[in-house]
Amino acid sequence: MGPVFFELQQATVGIAGLGGLGSNVAVALTRLGPGRLVVVDFDCVEADNLNRQQYFLDQVGMHKVDAMLDNLRRIRPDVEVVAHKVRLDPANIPGIFADCDVVAECFDRSDQKQMLVETLLSRLARTVVVSVSGLAGYGRSNAIQTRRISPRHILVGDGVSGIGPGVPLTAARVGIAAHHQANAVIEVLLEQWSPDYPEPESCQA
Amino acid sequence: MPSLRINGTDHAFPGDALPATVAELLNALEIDHATVVAEVDGRIVERGRFGQTPIREGQSIELVRFVGGG
Repeated sequence: MGPVFFELQQATVGIAGLGGLGSNVAVALTRLGPGRLVVVDFDCVEADNLNRQQYFLDQVGMHKVDAMLDNLRRIRPDVEVVAHKVRLDPANIPGIFADCDVVAECFDRSDQKQMLVETLLSRLARTVVVSVSGLAGYGRSNAIQTRRISPRHILVGDGVSGIGPGVPLTAARVGIAAHHQANAVIEVLLEQWSPDYPEPESCQA
Repeated sequence: MPSLRINGTDHAFPGDALPATVAELLNALEIDHATVVAEVDGRIVERGRFGQTPIREGQSIELVRFVGGG
């Protein structure tokens, strides 16, 4: 079995951060079909990450990009992944994501999310950004929404639930947000690469 | 009363108190500059330029606030 959307073989998707959001987005997109993923993370897998991130106990200590590459190849051996073990900053972001049709913002810290989204939107001319704000805690599944902020910016989340005392990050709610992201990425790519594809019944505009 | 359209909603400022810059607008709304992406009439304003970017009557402003977690 191959990916769901074969027509997306020419598409390239960036994933900035391979934590709770990024590891789930990477797995979902590998099953769905974009031809190439550009994944970026400087961190290593820690035991604490296993409560919500798509790694395994025997991968603790590995670089997340290496562990994720192994996992994605177990799903789809021919998946094409460009991996960067670097800390993203305004100087390297435009070059690393230059070829991406869409970039998923999968950071943890609010100021880092701001830096990444601002840089992508101001320095790259055509790349669409799918970012996330507000996914901590549990329950309130339907409070997590996908909204189009502008032609090149789609925002996922409930907008308010930050991590804090008594508000942990959980596999279920982070997973909901990550799959909103992956779903928005696919919608953007199908509009771009396969404009004749039937529109979904309810649009997110 | 001077007004701005902020995130799709008209926002009136009493008297002549329209904020002069994006930075002043964020201060008036008590929004942390470090966690917001600002767009004025469809153009991204980089955080480093919040203080030098003037605001004018009737502009449409999008403020996307990020909270932590991922």
